[in-house]
Amino acid sequence: MSGSIVLILRLALALTLYAFLGWALTTLWRDLQKQATALTTRRTAEISLKVRAGSEEPVLRHFVQAEITIGRDTTCDIFISDDSVSARHARLTYHHTQWWLEDFGSTNGTRLNGQAVTTPTVLTNEDEITCGATTLVVAMPSKT
Amino acid sequence: MTTQRESRLLIAAAVFLFLFSLILTLSPAVRERSFNVNYHFSHWIGFALWLIIIIAAHQSMRRHLPDHDPYLFPAAALLSGWGMLTIWRLDTAFGLRQSIWLTISVIVFMIGLRLPNELTFLRRYKYLLLTGSILLTAFTLIFGTNPSGFGPRLWLGCCGIYFQPSEPLKLLLVVYLASYLANRAPIRISTFIVLPSVVVTGIALLILLIQRDLGTASIFILIYTTVLFLATGKRRVLLISAAALALAGLVGYFFIDIIQIRINGWINPWNDPSGNSYQIIQSLLAIANGGTLGRGPGIGNPGLVPVAISDFIFTAIGEETGLAGTLGLIGLLSLILARGLSAAYRAPDQFRRLLAGGIVAYLGIQSLLIIGGNLRLLPLTGVTLPFVSYGGSSLLTSFIALLFLLKIGCDTEVEPAALIDARPFSIMANLLGLGLIAASLTIAWWAIIRSPDLLTRTDNGRRSISDRYVPRGKLLDRSNAPINITQGESGGYQRAYLYPQLAPVTGYTNPVFGQAGLEAALDEYLRGLQGNPSSLITIDHLLYGMPPPGLDVRLSIDLPLQQRADELLGAQKGAVVLLNAQNGEILVMASHPTYDPNQLDKTGASLVQNADAPLVNRAAQGLYPLGDGIKSLFTSDLKLNELYKQLGFYTPPNLFLPVAPVDSSITANIRVSPLQMALAAAALSDHGIRPAPRIALAVNTPQQGWVILNPLSESVQALTQEFADAQAARYIAKGQPYWQQTSSVKQDKIEINWYLAGAPPDWQGTPLTVVVLLEDGNIYLAQRIGSEVLKSALNSSR
Repeated sequence: MSGSIVLILRLALALTLYAFLGWALTTLWRDLQKQATALTTRRTAEISLKVRAGSEEPVLRHFVQAEITIGRDTTCDIFISDDSVSARHARLTYHHTQWWLEDFGSTNGTRLNGQAVTTPTVLTNEDEITCGATTLVVAMPSKT
Repeated sequence: MTTQRESRLLIAAAVFLFLFSLILTLSPAVRERSFNVNYHFSHWIGFALWLIIIIAAHQSMRRHLPDHDPYLFPAAALLSGWGMLTIWRLDTAFGLRQSIWLTISVIVFMIGLRLPNELTFLRRYKYLLLTGSILLTAFTLIFGTNPSGFGPRLWLGCCGIYFQPSEPLKLLLVVYLASYLANRAPIRISTFIVLPSVVVTGIALLILLIQRDLGTASIFILIYTTVLFLATGKRRVLLISAAALALAGLVGYFFIDIIQIRINGWINPWNDPSGNSYQIIQSLLAIANGGTLGRGPGIGNPGLVPVAISDFIFTAIGEETGLAGTLGLIGLLSLILARGLSAAYRAPDQFRRLLAGGIVAYLGIQSLLIIGGNLRLLPLTGVTLPFVSYGGSSLLTSFIALLFLLKIGCDTEVEPAALIDARPFSIMANLLGLGLIAASLTIAWWAIIRSPDLLTRTDNGRRSISDRYVPRGKLLDRSNAPINITQGESGGYQRAYLYPQLAPVTGYTNPVFGQAGLEAALDEYLRGLQGNPSSLITIDHLLYGMPPPGLDVRLSIDLPLQQRADELLGAQKGAVVLLNAQNGEILVMASHPTYDPNQLDKTGASLVQNADAPLVNRAAQGLYPLGDGIKSLFTSDLKLNELYKQLGFYTPPNLFLPVAPVDSSITANIRVSPLQMALAAAALSDHGIRPAPRIALAVNTPQQGWVILNPLSESVQALTQEFADAQAARYIAKGQPYWQQTSSVKQDKIEINWYLAGAPPDWQGTPLTVVVLLEDGNIYLAQRIGSEVLKSALNSSR
């Protein structure tokens, strides 16, 4: 009799142990999938920029990464040989499902549709970014 | 969300430990199969303390470390609570100590939560911390003690509080290496960078090699290598370290005896199961006894393994929670290691990344070393199982390591530092994972596949423990008069020998001296492992971890005749065998001198050394030359070896009784046991047929009542009927209803006297045969004893 009661308790003991592990694993697995989804959504945030430096022909550039730097320095993603542009001038970042424009404290400043950018600002389609004498027109693929 | 997850996991941990404590309380009822027992309650103090400090730490973490990893702390809390309750179950005094140490460790952990997350103080004071710790370890060379009074002196302390400085030294070595190597990232291997770290590690190693603590020394080498590998990503670091470890092992093998013992015990433990390999064999027996589900907390016997509270706590857990429990424990350890590694990946700078990686290496390597050592996967090293084993220094260090991991993993706002090369981390994770998988498979091997073989080993102390709790079957004579019985109550059953003069034949069952005679030969029946339905055996094993009550066995011995033979033999050294020539049933088997098995605990040691060998059953285990009388009794046309073969002199009698190995010489000097002789003589009384001997007639099974135990061999037409009848008629005693023959021969200056007698061929009743053998005395005495026994038997059967 005592043996049977304790056997039930022993089974419950083993079950609790595996409930602990199982619950930990399930939540970890869910986190992992959430992280994967977040990464996938981030990858779809493509952006195209029509770059017109001075009077040159506009060049259409396409990006898939989440951070784009603009500047005269050759390490920048959008490298502009224009003296009115600072070495590291501005950057576009994708987070919280939106593209943000941020000025790096450039000498001549960055303007968005004519307005000076002082804090990170959200971009929308066909926005016009001006860095010195260069303008960049935002083109985002419409979300389906 | 973090808090919610953590509280759910902590609730699961608390339920687990509550159930564990409840089973521990009820365990005496299961052992004694009664509710009227002394229940265990003291361990609830430990559970209450655990609950209070874990809730306090949980609240404190919510306040000071809101975004921490929700898995690390619950896993560590469950492991430490599990270990603490297991220690409480093994030894109440140590259980209380461990509860106090756990409280102290968690309080230190809670204070540590208030420290800044950057852990910069560790970088700043790395040399101070390391030198201080090395100095403390060095002090153990001079002031070192061992709380248990013997063994390696690795502790510092007095007045009942002891501290092992080599425990925190492991963690501080990780801290030092992480900060030293992080400052020099990215690193190229050059003497300039490696030399100082080698020197520091070397000092630590030297101290430990002098202390002869192989386990800690190998952990130091492995930790050093792993952190260096994580920092540099050079695989040759691993190779060089493996070579160094092998070299150290080899040098240790030839120059340090303890290492030699450990390695020999690992390679071949079965050679020396009671000496140097005692620990490891007992550990495997405990794992085997655990099986799949384990015997249940408090219901196994993990105390049979030496140092179960620290070195062998994994084994203790394995015995009481089985494969299910140990796999869960490995799962918990893996969870801690995986989350630690995740913290390393998320670390905001190189120092914290190396620190987290090093801590994972430290916890993983130490766990693998001791789990592998317990399972004979690796040589045994006396290190602790982090969070679980008894030991304040180990527990405190484990909790501080946990604190560092939580601190490193909680900075989710800051972007992780750039990872130059992810390979070293994934290689380390793979190696640790492989080790844990290997350990899991090894547990399954010992607990499931090898378990039945291991549990029947005679050095399995659980057998004599179950003898105290489960009544052993009785040995009865042919008219069901008790010979050996079990007395007492559950928990204190003892064997009582009601007819002690039969001891050389019936033998004994004793926790110290083991088993002998019929008690050994019939053990499976008497212990209830044979004859009971297999479902009953399985259920009793599952519920109680013990066999069902043993079964009574009826012997062919006739107690009144046996008594007569023992009286007649008296103080003579010799043997008497009386058997039924037709069916081989042994009615009398006497061997003198005899002993009292009831006094075995007091006299056992001297009995073993007694020159008269009272423990030997002379009737079945003594071999004696034949002498001319016997030779002439059997003389026929057959060749000597053909005759001896027919008489059964070359085959040991097969019955439920230990017999001597036969003498296979084909000369006339062959030696045979009185039992063999009685069987050969029986052929003369039964028309040349040599019967199959029987001593155990039937076993009383619960379902079918008395079940006949068939003879283990077949009767043989040994001699032709004409020859046997003619010889029996030729040797008829004058005026007596039996044939007889005496024979005497000298062996080692002792005169051996035989007397053989039996029923004539025309006998109408049960044909009986008697054989008397005297090692001293004279032929007339042998004849008198034999004829008296035979006459009493004939009278009683009339």
